[in-house]
Amino acid sequence: MSLGTATDGDDETSALDLFDDSSPLRLGRGAVGLIAFLVVWWAGAQVTTPSYLLPGPIASATAFVDLFTESTPVAVPLVGNVAIPVGLFKLGQSLLHYIPGLLLGATGGIALGVTMGWSGQIDDYLTPVVRILRPIPPLAWVVFAILWFGIHHTGAAFIVFVGAFWINFYGAYSGVEGVSTDYTEVASSLGVETDWQMIRLVMLPAAAPSVLTAFRTSIGRCWMIVVGAELFGAPGVGYEIINASNNLAVDTSVAYMLVISLVYVGMDVSFRTFERRVLAWR
Amino acid sequence: MALTDSPAESGDIADSESKIVVDSLSKRYEVRGESVTALDDVSFEVADGEFLCIVGPSGCGKTTLFRTIAGLESPSEGSVYVDDERVTEPGIDRGMVFQNYALFPWRTVRGNIRFGLDRPTCECPDCEQRVQELVDLVGLSGFEDAYPKELSGGMKQRVGIARALAVDPDVLLMDEPFGSLDPNTRDTLHGELLDIWRATNKTILFVTHEVEEAVTLADRILVMAADPGRVDDVVDVSLDRPRQRTDIEFVEYVSDIRERLGQ
Repeated sequence: MSLGTATDGDDETSALDLFDDSSPLRLGRGAVGLIAFLVVWWAGAQVTTPSYLLPGPIASATAFVDLFTESTPVAVPLVGNVAIPVGLFKLGQSLLHYIPGLLLGATGGIALGVTMGWSGQIDDYLTPVVRILRPIPPLAWVVFAILWFGIHHTGAAFIVFVGAFWINFYGAYSGVEGVSTDYTEVASSLGVETDWQMIRLVMLPAAAPSVLTAFRTSIGRCWMIVVGAELFGAPGVGYEIINASNNLAVDTSVAYMLVISLVYVGMDVSFRTFERRVLAWR
Repeated sequence: MALTDSPAESGDIADSESKIVVDSLSKRYEVRGESVTALDDVSFEVADGEFLCIVGPSGCGKTTLFRTIAGLESPSEGSVYVDDERVTEPGIDRGMVFQNYALFPWRTVRGNIRFGLDRPTCECPDCEQRVQELVDLVGLSGFEDAYPKELSGGMKQRVGIARALAVDPDVLLMDEPFGSLDPNTRDTLHGELLDIWRATNKTILFVTHEVEEAVTLADRILVMAADPGRVDDVVDVSLDRPRQRTDIEFVEYVSDIRERLGQ
């Protein structure tokens, strides 16, 4: 079985199911694959010259450990300078635009998606605009991010916002559009009268699987966007990847790549656990 | 006729003692520029507390009729009145039960039954107790916290019936409610539905294409014909309940109606 195949078969955009199907055989094979990968990587690094073109696994691991053992003084209001591990500090900088961008984008996208999915009239008015705006890659908005906000946290958050917005918009829109009329008909025979009641009691719970899947997709997609935005100079993990390689400390670049991978996997697994609990009825 | 007050809006009030009045109902659809008549001048009345079955071949408009009485579709001509009030939209006076159950999958058995009690339109002093009574009424004690996916078809439809009964509608509209169930389950539910009907005095309008099912349940049977959908005959079923399918009279009713339907 290939790594990318979801073994529970109930969702489409799953990340690797490393943590779900933990049969000994599968875990064993996974370990073999991982060791083989490390050996190939190590051997490749051994024969590559100059050595900075491909830092080996040991150099990268050392750089990774350094990120969390070497501290940098950070000015904290009221407290003064506090020593924080470099890796955590850079990760925190990324999260400063990642989290607001993701949450605001998801909220806005879900709100618009539910509204358009629910109201045919609003859908008629806005569909052409959505058709034009949605395909624009979030990073293309970097021009306006810089013009309007400057390329710092706010600008980067704006780009993340755009990415999260459309993914969550589409999840909510298709989710609400796909709700069976049976549910709304039954609900109206049981006393649901206002649009808001119908949305709250029928549309949102019925569309929840689609909404949550979209949100989970946006968790990953927004990390890509974060790195992209930081290549333009916003501070954070993505910026450090470039910055380190400019200093020929490519093992540090790899360490930061690993940081992103671990943070993403952690968020994805947590969210899937949450999702499974919320959607226990499926 | 005990109508002393003059109606507020003329034409909106039918002067009748019947629970449901279907008055010269016609329904036409436009299908690719052509007009299709689903219902043609259908008129009948249903008495308070009556169990009326509607049988007919596919395409006779019985589902359109059901949906119009439910208020889910508007008639092209004519009107439907429930308690002398013209039907324009769904309401809690008419509970609906569907063939595919249409349970809310994200709600438990209890949550589904409770759905209609959470509206501000419905006041009940003790909702928890009412839900429990309904759970007991349909024989689902012990499954209160189960989700629909964990239930068999028969259990799902018991939830569907209890959910419709929760808001205490006068009328129960049932569209082939047992059509997806196996014969044994269906027989059981026939008995249970008749018990519930007797216990609650609801007016039941039950759409089916099974003649035997109609003869088992109904006080009267509305036999419909297709192209265009219309009322072909109304049959009074004067048999004592419980009815045995092997009784001579039962068999005669069934074969008479089948003949009408051209089966």
